[in-house]
Amino acid sequence: MARAQLIGLIASLAAGAIGAQSTNRAERPESRTVLGSNDYLAQGAEQIRMHQYDEGIRLTSIGLVQASSVNERAAALSNLCGAYAGKGDANKAIDYCTQSIALREDNWRAYSNRAYAYYLKGKYPEARADLDVAASINPDANTIEKIRGLINEKSLRATVTMEDHR
Amino acid sequence: MRALPVLATLLLGVCFAAQVQARKNRPVPTLDPVGSWNCVVYGHPAFGDERVLLNVAPDGTVHAAHERDGEISPWVALTSWYVDDATMTFTDQHSGRGYEADLTFETLGGRWRTPTLLGGWWCSRAPTDFGPKVEKAKLGAAKPESQLLPLQPSFTATPVYPLKAIRGAKQGRAVSCFFVDADGNVVRPEIIELSDEIFRVPILNALARSRYQPLPGEQTLRPGCRSFLFRLEPLAGDATVVEQLDPPR
Repeated sequence: MARAQLIGLIASLAAGAIGAQSTNRAERPESRTVLGSNDYLAQGAEQIRMHQYDEGIRLTSIGLVQASSVNERAAALSNLCGAYAGKGDANKAIDYCTQSIALREDNWRAYSNRAYAYYLKGKYPEARADLDVAASINPDANTIEKIRGLINEKSLRATVTMEDHR
Repeated sequence: MRALPVLATLLLGVCFAAQVQARKNRPVPTLDPVGSWNCVVYGHPAFGDERVLLNVAPDGTVHAAHERDGEISPWVALTSWYVDDATMTFTDQHSGRGYEADLTFETLGGRWRTPTLLGGWWCSRAPTDFGPKVEKAKLGAAKPESQLLPLQPSFTATPVYPLKAIRGAKQGRAVSCFFVDADGNVVRPEIIELSDEIFRVPILNALARSRYQPLPGEQTLRPGCRSFLFRLEPLAGDATVVEQLDPPR
């Protein structure tokens, strides 16, 4: 069940940046990435959303080369980060997300994607730090709480203590 | 000027409606506390769990007798009891504990408090009426000693910590009181303290699986309570911030 949830999460994370314009209009303006005429990025995002990570990476990489603005580059890098996180390659994911954040500091998805990649590596404090930044940019994003929940699941030991009164 | 009587009438009407609504919202007592009760009183750090016989008389008096070392102590008079908004109150002047019972419960029980301490109590109705005027021989016939025997758990099921609570970093605590039948089964559990609804179902499921030592032939349901503490601790090397519990109210 957890695996299914993770896959769903990855899809929403990765495709989020480029696909935000059409799919998530309720979210804050700064969380969206303005999409220009770069069809490769749009199609790459769609492939990533459908868990076709290799094809998504291929298309997004072409789109990244053709990107005409900082916003497009940042979104492409964030999506590559999400795709690699979806494939389980946390190191590459972190690298792409860090590049994306260097271009745009206000993209909560890049922080969220990197948090997930840190989670995959078991680096929970780093993941939490990124989630805190993401939440400060977009407090309403469900994805952030989902990743936080996954981290809690792995990093907290649950105990129940009982006492009988008789 | 002409509008004044109309306004006054309207105001009166509104006040009356508010009063009626307030009466409707008041809890209605469903339990008659008068009678004899076998109780467990818990939560005192010095006294520990106590088995107490309680006699609530219709004249407003309350008497208590404690079980100590298998013997029943002489009856002690407590303060008079009274009911306000389905809450019954009386005080044990010897221990300084003020008792409160929620008369919307199926049985007598609730909380006790002193200026510094807080605990709970839970009773099952005694099959035979006993009280301070009943002689010890008759008390023996009523077998209150067996009702005062501490419950011995034979299997204690641990509640499952809800995954949703772990993900949400939720901790909590609860107290459930119940009866134990002759076969040792937990019956009619009631949650009397609960910090978060998320823990209710796991607690009730665990209680349903728990067993106590049976007391064959015992016709009276024996009262018992169990407190639960749901805690989350960061695994080594991780400084997770978990939701803090509120102090007991």
